[in-house]
Amino acid sequence: MANHYRSTEQMVIRCAKELIDGEVVFAGVGLPLLVVCFAMMTHARHITLLTEGGSVRGTAPPGLAITVDDPVLFASGDATFGMTGAMAALQRGEVDLTFISGAQIDRLGNINSTGVGNWEKPRTFTYFAGSGGANDMATSGKRGLIIIPQDPKKFVERVDYLTSPGFIGGAGHREALGMLGGGPAVVVSTMGVYRFDAQSREMYLAEYFSGQSVEKVRSFCSFDLKVSRDVKETESPTEEELTLLRELDPKGFYLS
Amino acid sequence: MHEETKNGHGVSSVDKRMSLKDAVSRFIKDGDALYYGGFQTMVPMAITHEMIRQRKKDLHVFCTTTDVGGLDLLVSAGCVSEMHLAWSMNWFARGSHGIRRAFQQETLKRHDLSNFAATSALMGGFLGIPFMAVRGNVGTDLVKYNQEDLRVIEDPFTGEKITLVRSWRADVGIIHAQRADPLGNIVSWGTRSSPDEFGAMGSKRGVIVTVEEVVEPEVVRSDPDRTLIPFYKTLAVVHCPWGAHPSACMGHYGQDIRFCEYQGEYQRNEHLLHHFFEDWVYGCSDHEAYLQKYVQMFGLESLERLKPQKGFKPLLDVHYSYHDPVVWLDIPPFSDAHIGGRD
Repeated sequence: MANHYRSTEQMVIRCAKELIDGEVVFAGVGLPLLVVCFAMMTHARHITLLTEGGSVRGTAPPGLAITVDDPVLFASGDATFGMTGAMAALQRGEVDLTFISGAQIDRLGNINSTGVGNWEKPRTFTYFAGSGGANDMATSGKRGLIIIPQDPKKFVERVDYLTSPGFIGGAGHREALGMLGGGPAVVVSTMGVYRFDAQSREMYLAEYFSGQSVEKVRSFCSFDLKVSRDVKETESPTEEELTLLRELDPKGFYLS
Repeated sequence: MHEETKNGHGVSSVDKRMSLKDAVSRFIKDGDALYYGGFQTMVPMAITHEMIRQRKKDLHVFCTTTDVGGLDLLVSAGCVSEMHLAWSMNWFARGSHGIRRAFQQETLKRHDLSNFAATSALMGGFLGIPFMAVRGNVGTDLVKYNQEDLRVIEDPFTGEKITLVRSWRADVGIIHAQRADPLGNIVSWGTRSSPDEFGAMGSKRGVIVTVEEVVEPEVVRSDPDRTLIPFYKTLAVVHCPWGAHPSACMGHYGQDIRFCEYQGEYQRNEHLLHHFFEDWVYGCSDHEAYLQKYVQMFGLESLERLKPQKGFKPLLDVHYSYHDPVVWLDIPPFSDAHIGGRD
């Protein structure tokens, strides 16, 4: 086990383990691109990777992707489907795992990537970016994986703007709206791993990273965090994992 | 220079090449609705700078997702009053600072929706129908705050909830592509950029394109599968190498991350932004001057660095073959004992 690594490195390496070999994965911009690439070069070599830019590929991209229509996602890819063609796979129910990030997440797994403040009072509203394809992924993927750095401003009781649906208002809400996908399954932060209760649909802490504690994670969360009775410490990344990850992002575009 | 035809669309024998300045002044009017092309790559930056130079006003923008801060500059320069889109950023400035400020100052109306809803809105315009049905957006603040584009209804066939998105038809589309011929056949590859195809074809008057290279019509016609937009929708062809810089153009250059960061510092700091406009936009007569300034400041090697390093040249040898020569040769009809002789 390695001793010296960044929390972002542990986040990426732990997150990659949630990808199952053979799955169809739809990845959003940012950290998800690095995680999928890492997974495709380690335990999950048979992933079908789709992105909003329209790339469809069954092999790891030949370089570090910065955008979801980065030329490296298309070079030696299997198909260039365009945004409509690639994203239609979501609506057809073909995507096993969707993978997004965001600016805020609440205890029901709802994501905000639009901005903070009160939309109805524009002077108070600080815009970030918008949905991009995150909403479509969160609506229709069979299960959702979310990667988001731990921060009390990011883990909130209620998102300021609901951009991408988690379990919305609670159990049964997605079903009532006829959503195709099952909703978020896992959240990985820089401090731990969260899952969702099958009944209440509330997020709970399932693992905390080595060097962290349940109390410390709680203090980086703005809502009353539920904790699994079986909560455990996440294994530290191995030297091999860290070496590969640092080769993928040697200048720290994602990791610093 | 050709005379505009009645509907604004050119005919097959017209040479549509012109300067960036002429294309923007002739075909983009204040108050127009624009399809703003590209995605995180192929952003129409040269056209963006020219619209700022010509101080266009009250533009309405339809867009899916846009990176490297081109649209953000257009907003900061006061050219845009309203936008419909899914995502805007300069990723390397960690935000869309000009759009953020304009929204807070209430000088910009922004209507948000998801990428698939946006590309579907463009597809609806491409198809010439009033709306499309999509699965996303329902249950979120996108629908709550963007009733102009989104409505949730009951599916008349099943009774289940479904989101409708209004179709978008811009007045003019602006895009960047790798190639075009002088007639306006636009060739693009690498991402099969469906937003550009739908956005440009759905534009009412047509599309302005900047291209890395102008080729002869015979070259385009030798491989028409690659034509994204056929000539009759094209208003102007502008030969403009590096026209998407600092975004990437597949096969020509990658994203200029260092320049995105540099430009981003100005976008982040409102009090500095006028320097960027003076130096890189108003202070440059055209895109060639912008490139000269770039080379002067950051060296030719900074541009050379962005050119493809590894070869990804297609290995498929494609042919467009003939139909059955029976139409001009004497080949007797096929028969057998069941059918018997046929004349």
